[in-house]
Amino acid sequence: MVLAAALLAGGAAALVARGAAPAATPQIGASDDRRAFRGRHRGPLPPQAMRTFERYLYRPVDPYEIQREFYFTRLAYSGHMYRGFAGSWSIDYPKADRQFMIGLKRLLDQLDAYDYDHALPATDPDLFRFPFLYSVEVGYMALSPAEREALRRYLLAGGFWVIDDFWGSWEWANLERELSLLLPEYPIVELPLDHPIFHCFYDVEEILQVPNVGQGVSGGPTWEQDGFTPHVRGIFDEDGRLMVVINWNTDLGDAWEWAEDEWYPVRFSHYAYQMGVNFVVYAMSH
Amino acid sequence: MVGLFEFLFKYRPVLFEEGRFTFVSPGWMQVAALLAGALLVVAAFTYRRMGGGGSDRTAGAERLRWLPPVFRSLAIAVIVFCLLQPALVLSTVVPQETFVGVVVDDSRSMAMPDEASAADGTRAGAVLEALSGEPGSMLDRLAERFQVRLLAFGRSAERIESTEQLRFARADSRIGEALVAARDELAGLPLSGLVLFSDGADSAPAELGDALLTLKAAGTPVYTVGVGRPRLRKDIEVSRVVAPRRVLEGSTVEVEITLSQTGFGGRTVDLEVEDDGRIVNVEQVTFPRGGSAVTARVMFAANDEGAREFRFQVAGQPGEELLLNNERTALVEVLKRREKIFFFEGEPRDESKFLRRAVGQDENLHVVSMTRQAANKFYGMNFDENTRRFEGFPTRREELFEYRGVILGSMEASFFTHDQMRMLVDFAAQRGGGVLLLGGRRAFSEGGFAGTPLAELSPVVLYDRPAEQGRPELLTDLRLELTPQGRAHPATLLRDDREEANELWPTLPPLSAYQRATELKAGATALLQAESPMVSAPMIVLAHHRIGRGRAIAFTPHDSWHWQMSAEIPLEDQTHERLWRQMLRWLVSYVPDRIEIEADRDRFEPGSTVTLRATVRDEAFQEVNRAQVVAAIEQPSGEEVEVPLDWSVERDGEFVGTFTADESGLYRVEVDARSEGQLLGVATSRFAVDELNEELFGAARRDSVLKRIASETGGRQVELGRADRLVEDLSVSREGTVVREARDLWDMPILFLMLVALLGGEWAVRRRLGMA
Repeated sequence: MVLAAALLAGGAAALVARGAAPAATPQIGASDDRRAFRGRHRGPLPPQAMRTFERYLYRPVDPYEIQREFYFTRLAYSGHMYRGFAGSWSIDYPKADRQFMIGLKRLLDQLDAYDYDHALPATDPDLFRFPFLYSVEVGYMALSPAEREALRRYLLAGGFWVIDDFWGSWEWANLERELSLLLPEYPIVELPLDHPIFHCFYDVEEILQVPNVGQGVSGGPTWEQDGFTPHVRGIFDEDGRLMVVINWNTDLGDAWEWAEDEWYPVRFSHYAYQMGVNFVVYAMSH
Repeated sequence: MVGLFEFLFKYRPVLFEEGRFTFVSPGWMQVAALLAGALLVVAAFTYRRMGGGGSDRTAGAERLRWLPPVFRSLAIAVIVFCLLQPALVLSTVVPQETFVGVVVDDSRSMAMPDEASAADGTRAGAVLEALSGEPGSMLDRLAERFQVRLLAFGRSAERIESTEQLRFARADSRIGEALVAARDELAGLPLSGLVLFSDGADSAPAELGDALLTLKAAGTPVYTVGVGRPRLRKDIEVSRVVAPRRVLEGSTVEVEITLSQTGFGGRTVDLEVEDDGRIVNVEQVTFPRGGSAVTARVMFAANDEGAREFRFQVAGQPGEELLLNNERTALVEVLKRREKIFFFEGEPRDESKFLRRAVGQDENLHVVSMTRQAANKFYGMNFDENTRRFEGFPTRREELFEYRGVILGSMEASFFTHDQMRMLVDFAAQRGGGVLLLGGRRAFSEGGFAGTPLAELSPVVLYDRPAEQGRPELLTDLRLELTPQGRAHPATLLRDDREEANELWPTLPPLSAYQRATELKAGATALLQAESPMVSAPMIVLAHHRIGRGRAIAFTPHDSWHWQMSAEIPLEDQTHERLWRQMLRWLVSYVPDRIEIEADRDRFEPGSTVTLRATVRDEAFQEVNRAQVVAAIEQPSGEEVEVPLDWSVERDGEFVGTFTADESGLYRVEVDARSEGQLLGVATSRFAVDELNEELFGAARRDSVLKRIASETGGRQVELGRADRLVEDLSVSREGTVVREARDLWDMPILFLMLVALLGGEWAVRRRLGMA
């Protein structure tokens, strides 16, 4: 309840601030910023009004304000209860997204990217204006028929969907079931390491298992549930275009979110940024 | 007019032109002058004396006082002129000692039934009557004075003994060649001239001028006798077809067809396009009421590879006099090859991704891309084993010029070195490539192109926009509309049906652009524009212009990908794919290859001399003159002939050779160019040989041709049946065996009329003055 109240207060503040100039882009490195990013929903806010999906807030961009070439768009999907809550789509949101954008803009300095987090439900008519989608915790995803229809159209029309942070055979089974309903005619295949997605910007030679923040910081095992081996899988359309990239048994999102944490192993965040940058470069060029 | 002249001056103007004026009795000149002087003095004295007489004359009458002596003087002058015996000295031929060649058109067009003077109504009938030898016929009249030699011609002229040998069935008529051949045939004989009986239809591929010059130099005047009507009553003709010689498979072929007509003004006809017997398009064409010709633009897809014969025809209309000229064919080679296009993009963006995707499955387009991801970090795609690898933008001409098209995305001018910018301009201007400039926040004025060589490429006027102004403002909600030129351009044909395509554009989802492009450069053409509340004038969306040998195209929006990814557009919709496939085909169409070979036409008559012209350039597209160029010609029978081509000297890199094509069918030419033993490249081309019926086009009597032949050789155009004139003209032609002959002029009716008028005038004035 306390969390929900804090979110609503944040939303009200954003409404008041609407129309004002966007706050300066936060930079990693300054100690004040670090503190700001520790808290999950603190830090500068974008000027857009907030909406809710499955109890969580998101800030869609006004269609007339879409001026950037790239928006890191998180899919706000319908899902099962996750650890007693609805809204598994919003795990690590928005900090992971915003922190990834900070790194992405520095590494791809020619990319005209939106600075803030950006989430949309599949049924939003403006979804098609953002051809890159990111999702987490899809083990709890349960798409409605309307969401499924919109997402299918989105992917076949040219959208690109990166799935991340879900573990073990039970969660895989849920995603597999959802994908079999979404894109029944297209099989899920393992992406070999010589696929261009691993080499279009950084050369990724090995698939690492990126642990969540708790296990990463504590130096514990990198796996969760029975997800011992990380996989990068994909779904191609009939023309050989990659539509979906599935990062299973790994948590790139946490590695972005906690990249500034001195206790989180740098090799994981390093790898997660490399993978994230490659996904964006690939999505923007294929 | 000539008749009036002849009535007044006794002879036709030609005699005055050919003859020399003289007085037969020049010794009388002084006597006549004295006599005239005395008479004038007497006349003046008499009038002066009489002038003092009457006192009641009005002032007006007083002014007329000087007229009678003037009239009288002039009358005396006329009489004196006659007394001096004026004459024309003419060189006239000696009867039966001079030859005349009568050259008769023996081609099929002479069978046209449009000569009213003939008993059977045909042109051939009229010629046969004129040359029948019956008393009073033209041949008879000619034979009275000349030795006549008959010749018949189609492709060339040969002697015939009588008109019975004329068949009027030859496929073509090459007037120039025939006249020269006739001159050669009669060489050595005292020839007064040639008489050409023809309808003026000339199917020779070469210009007539050379032949006429030869005849003029040889001093052989040609007298032309035209047959047929100068204008058909009712006819439709496919006069001209302008089609590209080569197109890329899957392209929209645009063909310009000129239809001429007489007697069908205001009528709408169907113009059909046939590809190998299959109708691929039908265009309705309405003839203007006033004019005679109309130009139709027909577009159709060329989907089958190989040399295709497209037939353009209009069905025969009721009452039409000639049906054989209702169709024409064009040979178009549909190429199946991958045209290389270099796409240079300054930032990762969806526009370039979706553009590449739209043409990614196109087997005829190979888009090699280089996208800047970070400062000096590029991502190159689609390089293959046949493509030179480089990082960033090419620095050598050979690297860039191997492409046929370049797409420049959102990349600021300051990225390029001056040499690179110059090279890109040269890519269009010298290499003849196509450059497509895409809109984006770093393109055009917003990318600082103004004041750099890149500005030369832009079809829209650029303005100076300092970088300090920061991010350009995005113009949103642009609904596109076609300009009048865009409504007929193949690049905007997003549906098979033109009307449907034109109606589609305004219904497409609106786009946005960073470019404030509202003004076209001189010579540029806009195809698409859009209204925006943010700019006062319509925004130019798609425009193009020529740069030297090549062309540059500007497409200013930055998000056409919304036409692919939009909730409003069905998944199966191909609008976005079609737009870019067509645009890139247009970009690389008519782009020259390094080695090119072309016959001077795409179709020939059997037996024609085919001129093969090859252009040879090196990798940097510099013309090469020192090369060994050999054309291997595969004939329809499969036999191969090698023709060496020599440097033409007239133009750098141009090699020419000739070949006589006797077999009917399709020929394939492969040219191989080498320099110092090294292969520079090969090129192929095709041409067809068959009966063209060329002279049935423009089938009415061509007076302009006949007139030109006559005037340029020193002859005259003579009407059919006017043998007297022909004989007279030939008699004074100064060619052949001639004698001098003086013809009196004192009895010209004009002199008598002048005398009567002057004396009558004098009398009338005197009466008025009361002196009579």
